[in-house]
Amino acid sequence: MPYFTDKQTVLEDIFSRYPQTEQGRRSALMPLLREVQNALGYVPEAQMEEISTLIGTTATEVKSVMSFYSTYHTIPTGKWHIQVCATLSCALAGSDALWDDLTETLETVPGEVTPDKLFSVQKVECLGSCGTAPMLQVSDIGYAECVTRKKLHTLLEHLKNGGEFVPDTRVPVFMQGGQQLDALENEVGGRTADLEPLPMPG
Amino acid sequence: MTMTTPRPITSALDARFKPTLYARVGKENSFTLESYRADGGYEAVQRAFALGPDPVIDEMKKSGLRGRGGAGFPTGLKWSFMPLKDGRQHYLICNADESEPGSFKDRYLLTEDPHQLIEGMLIAGFAMRASIGYIYIRGEYVLGAERIDAAIAEARAAGLLGKNVLGSGFDFDLFLHRGAGAYICGEETALMNSLEGLRANPRLKPPFPAASGIYNLPTTINNVESFCAAPHILRYGADWYSSMGTEKSKGNKLFQISGPVARPGVFELPLGATFREIIYDFAGGPLEPIKAIIPGGSSTPMMPWNDAILDTPMDYEAIGAQGSMLGTGGVILIPQDYCIVNATWNLVRFYAHESCGKCTPCREGIGSWMTKIYEKLVRGGGKPGDVELILDMSDNIAGKSFCALADACLGPVVSSIKLFRDEYDYLIANGKSQYGGRSRWAEE
Ligand SMILES: Cc1cc2nc3c(=O)[nH]c(=O)nc-3n(C[C@H](O)[C@H](O)[C@H](O)COP(=O)(O)O)c2cc1C
Ligand code: SF4
Ligand code: FES
Repeated sequence: MPYFTDKQTVLEDIFSRYPQTEQGRRSALMPLLREVQNALGYVPEAQMEEISTLIGTTATEVKSVMSFYSTYHTIPTGKWHIQVCATLSCALAGSDALWDDLTETLETVPGEVTPDKLFSVQKVECLGSCGTAPMLQVSDIGYAECVTRKKLHTLLEHLKNGGEFVPDTRVPVFMQGGQQLDALENEVGGRTADLEPLPMPG
Repeated sequence: MTMTTPRPITSALDARFKPTLYARVGKENSFTLESYRADGGYEAVQRAFALGPDPVIDEMKKSGLRGRGGAGFPTGLKWSFMPLKDGRQHYLICNADESEPGSFKDRYLLTEDPHQLIEGMLIAGFAMRASIGYIYIRGEYVLGAERIDAAIAEARAAGLLGKNVLGSGFDFDLFLHRGAGAYICGEETALMNSLEGLRANPRLKPPFPAASGIYNLPTTINNVESFCAAPHILRYGADWYSSMGTEKSKGNKLFQISGPVARPGVFELPLGATFREIIYDFAGGPLEPIKAIIPGGSSTPMMPWNDAILDTPMDYEAIGAQGSMLGTGGVILIPQDYCIVNATWNLVRFYAHESCGKCTPCREGIGSWMTKIYEKLVRGGGKPGDVELILDMSDNIAGKSFCALADACLGPVVSSIKLFRDEYDYLIANGKSQYGGRSRWAEE
């Protein structure tokens, strides 16, 4: 069953971002792969074929590009694909222990899906959230940050019980009354001296 | 009457310092057009339109801004490399791939202040006669992608993007492109291949992107933070910008700090602020004894923890003089009781995983040999001579690979051996480290 047949608006939106040339069409490859993967949890052979026709190349080419990136999967993933950051800042905050606890609790290893189809796991590299280490990413939804053992188990229970994943959106510093404050409302940063914008020229 | 030049601002605690890049982060609805406009947003681009494209480039040059993606190339100069009057289609790309371990500044600029970035790209596009821009965002930044997409739609609806922006006669449109988990896509030519739907191998330079970039047309790539500096330079002037920083490192910058400190996070400081200032005044001080500082993301050589380093100004030259680099400004502190060989192995593994496989020194040298030796070391199977072997391999890889990724891996490798040779030797002699290889994980 072709995936994109009834999704003309999606296709139009994707192709409209790139030039209407051979090279431009090819640029749609990554967004098309993501579209399929987000819907199906992975990219089946049939869809590699379908995408290759859409962008004017071969399925082998599509596969070759896909294999370059760690985000695309050629095998099914669980409903919740849990990706643990294993890079230095997270390792310093205990990501090894987090990974062991996660895989032991779920009794699973990378490449597998738990029998209830709910979970799959993957170790990944730095996710750009080193300030809230250790952290993990759930599917293509968002991050769980500053993950303690308790937080991990609460999250897994929540997901097992049919709950939805709500990502953290913690900002380490915020503004209030012209002053930067941290999450504990300590003052940080400069005092925002008054500055006059330059006048408009002419 | 004699004029005295005021002392430059090199501390965020200086009362004259004004945070700008990060000033709206965390403010309620900061990511909306309404909020951005209420804070004077999109006035800078109008000033740019009134000045004209070439004076904008001059202003950028005068400001002294250097690229914030890691390499520190002067931004105004880069902009002037575009064939400004050739009449061809020009492209602008924002590098929002942010994947260098220890770096997480761009993420909040994307989620919290997307219009600041859009305004910066409008100014850049106008100056460089580009009419199409792409924001290449790492695939994992989901909220960032949503906010950027929403902001682009808002800007288009308000006539800030599209044909004849704000009646200026300048056409500019912007699109988001999401990556898919590959560090090498941050390298500018690999990024262009990725955007073209190809495997993200770096391209041979020359031709440089300004001559032939995306779709073989003139292209300029800048980091998120570099573009975000542009509206403020236009708004307050190059003189204001260059009043911050040191002689050759001008302006303000987003520094990030992670590892065992009381308050890890992103802080905006003028260049030239010291490590002591960010670590103690901003991050609240270390939580345990520290032995090494990685100053600017994982590829910048480690520095020892001592008073001289703590008092080193964070600018391109001063950190360079200490044998390391400012990089992305992503400071990582490594605690005393964490095995340095294990920490280095963690980063070697990262670079090995991210090697694109195009050239032999990196694919074989790092991807295979270096990784295997480190793995053997941390598992306790090291032999006398292994450290010499690593150093010899490093010598053979340095400067001989196709792009900067392989050299980036050597940063932590060579510096950790130089600074902590005793830990390597102890590990080899005893089959285990004198320190633990793993940290405590917080229970609650
Ligand atoms: C392996 C590698 C990864 C890189 N990753 C990034 C990145 O994630 N973000 C970034 O802005 N620059 C990155 N760069 C630097 C870019 O190639 C380029 O120099 C930069 O985007 C230019 O922008 P700037 O002049 O504003 O700094 C990377 C370079 C290399 C060699
Ligand atoms: S140095 Fe590594 S990442 Fe760069 S081109 Fe060679 S193999 Fe690819
Ligand atoms: S090291 Fe884990 S997010 Fe950067």
